[in-house]
Amino acid sequence: MKELKNQENRQTADSLSQIMNIDRLVHSPARLSILTYLSVVEEGDAVYLLNQTGLTWGNLSANVTRLQEAGYIEVVKEFKHNKPHTVLKLTDRGRKAFQDYQNKMKGLLAIKSLSPGRRESRLNRMK
Amino acid sequence: MDTSDQKQIERRVFTSFFQAGIVEAFTGIILVQLGLPALFSRSGFGDLESALLALPIALVLLIGVFLVRKFVIVRRLGHVKFLPERRRRISKLIIVPTLTLIAGAIVGYVFTENAPLRHAFVAQIPFILIPIIVFGAAAYFLDMKRLYVYGAIVGLVFPVGKYLETVIVSPNTLPATILFASFVFLGIAITSLVAFLRKHHEPEV
Repeated sequence: MKELKNQENRQTADSLSQIMNIDRLVHSPARLSILTYLSVVEEGDAVYLLNQTGLTWGNLSANVTRLQEAGYIEVVKEFKHNKPHTVLKLTDRGRKAFQDYQNKMKGLLAIKSLSPGRRESRLNRMK
Repeated sequence: MDTSDQKQIERRVFTSFFQAGIVEAFTGIILVQLGLPALFSRSGFGDLESALLALPIALVLLIGVFLVRKFVIVRRLGHVKFLPERRRRISKLIIVPTLTLIAGAIVGYVFTENAPLRHAFVAQIPFILIPIIVFGAAAYFLDMKRLYVYGAIVGLVFPVGKYLETVIVSPNTLPATILFASFVFLGIAITSLVAFLRKHHEPEV
């Protein structure tokens, strides 16, 4: 029984330590939203992201630039019917970063399985 | 967020491209294409003439739907290339026209002069089953549950029309019933499009 509790404690501590290693570039709500909507398609244009994420042009553009600089997304600018058309695609690196983020968050959320009292004591100990 | 969540998001994204009344418009056009030839043939035109007269109307409606999709809906929702899994599923939609052809051949056989099934009730069965099978296949491959309901409604139109013919004795009762159903679908399509336009504005680049 004691061994089981120790194992559980170790798992919780591991989960909480993961929050320190979380990819902050992905963790931002706007960028997380962009990555989520790009992860469910092969590629999509800026209008698609604008429509799905609900971001403004400026906000979308700023966050796309940051993700592009990190090599998480690929941006192709072209002209379609004499109008600028921006196509965005998640790179392999971006897909991996997004999956890692998901796994870390899942590990962290595993704390939810602990009882409220024990969860609180764990969090206090971490502080 | 696990795989099932992502699948749900993908499904939501995919179905969002069909929320502007496109599916309803296609259903309405199918019914127009069924109702108009029936109306023309009962007004004294031959079968071929009736079909040829109805064809341009359906074509104009179809072209209208494609233009609305291209210049109104896609401009507001953006261009997307879906994942290979989804594209494979869409490509399986080819089974729908195949089913329609097979079912049409069966109906043709049932209604030939020497057909084995000439009983009034039995003759109606294909008209009920074809829409249910075709719309069911489309619902399955497009992942859109409302198409099952549309299939059932379209399937019911013919027997309801036949029944109404016994109540309201007029040669135009059956085509009128089919066309009424088509107008209902086209009405839903227009309402959905208006709601879509209110919600989505064309983004200014």
